[in-house]
Amino acid sequence: MTRRINALETLPDWRERRQRAHAVRAEVIKNLDSYLDQFTVKAQANGVIVHRAKDAAEAVKIVLEIAKDSPRSREDRKENKKEISVYQRESASKTLVAKSKSMVTEEVNLNHALEAEGIRVVETDLGEFIVQLRGEKPSHIITPALHLKRQDVGELFHDKLDIPYTEDIPTLTNTARKVLREVFLTADIGITGANFAIAEEGAICLVTNEGNGRMVTTLPPIHIALIGMERLVHNLDDLALMLSLLPRSATGQKLTSYTQIVHSPLNGQQRHFILLDNGRSRLRNSPLKESLYCIRCGSCLNACPVFREIGGHAYKSPYSGPIGSVISAGLFGSEFVPLAQASTLCGACKDACPVDIDLPKLLVRVRADESPVSSLHSSNQHGLSPLSTFSLWMYSRLARRRRLFTLAQKFAALTSPLLAPFSQWIRLPAFTGWGYSKDLPRFARKSFREKWEGMQVNTETGRHVHTNKLSDKEETLRSAQGDIDFVERFTQELTAVHGHVHHTEDPTRSIIQFLQSRNINRIQLEPNVLDEDMLTQADITFSREPDPAIRAGVTKAQCGVADTGSVLEADGEGKSLLASLLPEIHLAVLRTSQIYPSLENVIHLVKNTKSAVFITGPSATGDIESVHTIGVHGPGEVHAFLVDD
Amino acid sequence: MPRIQLFITCLVDSFYPQTGEAVVNILRRLGVDVDFARDQTCCGQPPFSAGLHAEARPIAQHTIEVFEKTTGDIVMPSGSCAHMMKHNYLELFRDDPVWLTRAQALANRVFEFTEYLVDRLGVTDVGARWDGVLTYHPTCHALRGMRIDRQPRALLANVKGATIIDLPAAEDCCGFGGIFSVEHPELSAELLKRKISNLETSESPILVLIEAGCRMHIAGGLHRQKKQQRVVHIAEVLNST
Repeated sequence: MTRRINALETLPDWRERRQRAHAVRAEVIKNLDSYLDQFTVKAQANGVIVHRAKDAAEAVKIVLEIAKDSPRSREDRKENKKEISVYQRESASKTLVAKSKSMVTEEVNLNHALEAEGIRVVETDLGEFIVQLRGEKPSHIITPALHLKRQDVGELFHDKLDIPYTEDIPTLTNTARKVLREVFLTADIGITGANFAIAEEGAICLVTNEGNGRMVTTLPPIHIALIGMERLVHNLDDLALMLSLLPRSATGQKLTSYTQIVHSPLNGQQRHFILLDNGRSRLRNSPLKESLYCIRCGSCLNACPVFREIGGHAYKSPYSGPIGSVISAGLFGSEFVPLAQASTLCGACKDACPVDIDLPKLLVRVRADESPVSSLHSSNQHGLSPLSTFSLWMYSRLARRRRLFTLAQKFAALTSPLLAPFSQWIRLPAFTGWGYSKDLPRFARKSFREKWEGMQVNTETGRHVHTNKLSDKEETLRSAQGDIDFVERFTQELTAVHGHVHHTEDPTRSIIQFLQSRNINRIQLEPNVLDEDMLTQADITFSREPDPAIRAGVTKAQCGVADTGSVLEADGEGKSLLASLLPEIHLAVLRTSQIYPSLENVIHLVKNTKSAVFITGPSATGDIESVHTIGVHGPGEVHAFLVDD
Repeated sequence: MPRIQLFITCLVDSFYPQTGEAVVNILRRLGVDVDFARDQTCCGQPPFSAGLHAEARPIAQHTIEVFEKTTGDIVMPSGSCAHMMKHNYLELFRDDPVWLTRAQALANRVFEFTEYLVDRLGVTDVGARWDGVLTYHPTCHALRGMRIDRQPRALLANVKGATIIDLPAAEDCCGFGGIFSVEHPELSAELLKRKISNLETSESPILVLIEAGCRMHIAGGLHRQKKQQRVVHIAEVLNST
């Protein structure tokens, strides 16, 4: 929590941004149909195959059809014709799906449906991988294994992955890296969700830390993104605004390690976008519309005292916490209405929300039976116990008539001493709810209104007290960042996220020195970055293509972002995104003139790229006990070589 | 001389009349004329929060009618009742233009007690004296619903003889939540346990707040656990000299 608040304070204008983000989301949801059309047309022009799914069943059907058409599956069918026994077929010959974390796929129960069709599905986010190995569901939308301890993971990996028992989180993480690397390289299909879909670009944005999202969108021949249709933003400027809020709210980061913007299929790749409704249209035309503004950061979960107490699984819905208690009833049905009663309406969720969704208001609306499907088939549409409903019904009848109200009050005052003759406190039995953990004070013998009669005659000659106006001490916390130059800021920020910065006049010489110091003599290298003759003279060989034996990848970054310490890498002429992804060490060459103040200044550079990614430090995870661990699927080291110009 | 309408709230009326007396005393000491409309009952928050809007509306309409017959600011010793009348009435009547207009007119007159003292009267020192240690629990609807926090803190800071110390995790909910406390007794109990243990950590013998519901909840928990700490409404502190 404190980490998140600190991260928000790095945005001096965060309150104003929050209001802007609210307005941006409201506008999109209002005009959703036209944005969906715009997105579809643009994405198709980019070469993406776009599908619309009305509900979970349709979404699953579309994925299955794509899977059946995948190259491996076609081979399977040929093999089947040769009547190879099912028993002889190793799982290696099954269609293999590598998944990156996606709540929408949880929502449609995709894994189950794919496995039922004999497709092997592997979750590749560390937390999801752990949860899948245990045969469980995620307990938090950002950190799925939040409910587990390192010992649980140690035992699990010992049992299922056949490694010696260990509680060492880096060792556990590295085990997952090794196991899953194989999956990435052999998967037939990569499946992801999407954090945002940009209507004007026909592109999607994925915000991740471990690097598995980049793997599954880049390596398998087919990529499918399942997108909740409310994920849309209008354009790249609005995206930049959302990106300034989402990671700060979700994990306390200024940007996550990888912020990808995926436009077109890569060479030889097929890309599918599936836009999912599944109750969203219904929600949009209901008093719960505002819940669609959600950007799934999970901060309302973390802020909620009830969530902190019961954890995500108790909600029995893919979406838990305050936002889950609102949308589950709207998306999935009336059996989820009682979730909304499990809230004190304390408002911590609203305060935490980066797009200022009035969650307490929406929770009360769900309680008031205003969710779109609740009245269809439910005996108790408010999610209340019959006793509470009856008591409040009675109370309402008293409270609207003053005479009855005061009569009841008098009656209670007279009878409550009978319940507790020797004490000011009544001990009610536990079944009353109140009596479970607290005592009830006796009604006052004389109510205020009775005392008031006597107080009116009392003409107290009160002394006037000196009145001092509160001096307005509201400090405006504008952080003074003005005089730090961009290079210095970039260096500070990248270092803060465990990246390294080297200043150099000659990047080839510096990189050779670096490689020699690490005993590395073979690298993956993008064209036109380094003096390749000099490399050869230094006995360093290089490859344009990925190779598992290569430990370092050298790229030329398109630009740098000072505010966040990010570098932009994009697919392009002779460049692949793999040099910055597969090796353990990523070396990025960046000209200082290409460092810009903030994401807003450079987000437009992703136009006309097939796929681009803002890299902010090394691959990382917090999925085991929220301990920050570096180096999951992507590089564990990121070095920026800054060339002054 | 300003003249206000006192909305006593059902819980103060029935359980904590001493809070009401303190409020009246303080306001009179400051030269404010206090009126009490005797037909008032409850703001309707209990059924509203539970989602029983059809049961809440007649209570809200009754309250609106009672205060339409009066003039002046409506002052109440509760952040959550103020929140109900200032914000939730507008939600309750959002589809009823006639009542919405009447609710809006009422909302403009609503003040929580400390908010009235500090923001309306410009008073932060009421000349109170309390020898001892106090800690303040900002209750949820006052803090996050009404943004009332600096007002009670400023008033407490000027109480002579009092040492105000911080309550750990002060902004966490005590687990009351109206109907929540009986619908989800186990959860409510866990949140309450934390609040009480934080109060113990603070080592303050007295917890001050501006809400009768949360007072009833925390004090009820303290009594059940046989703890010595007490919970008082801020008006009772400010009324002591």
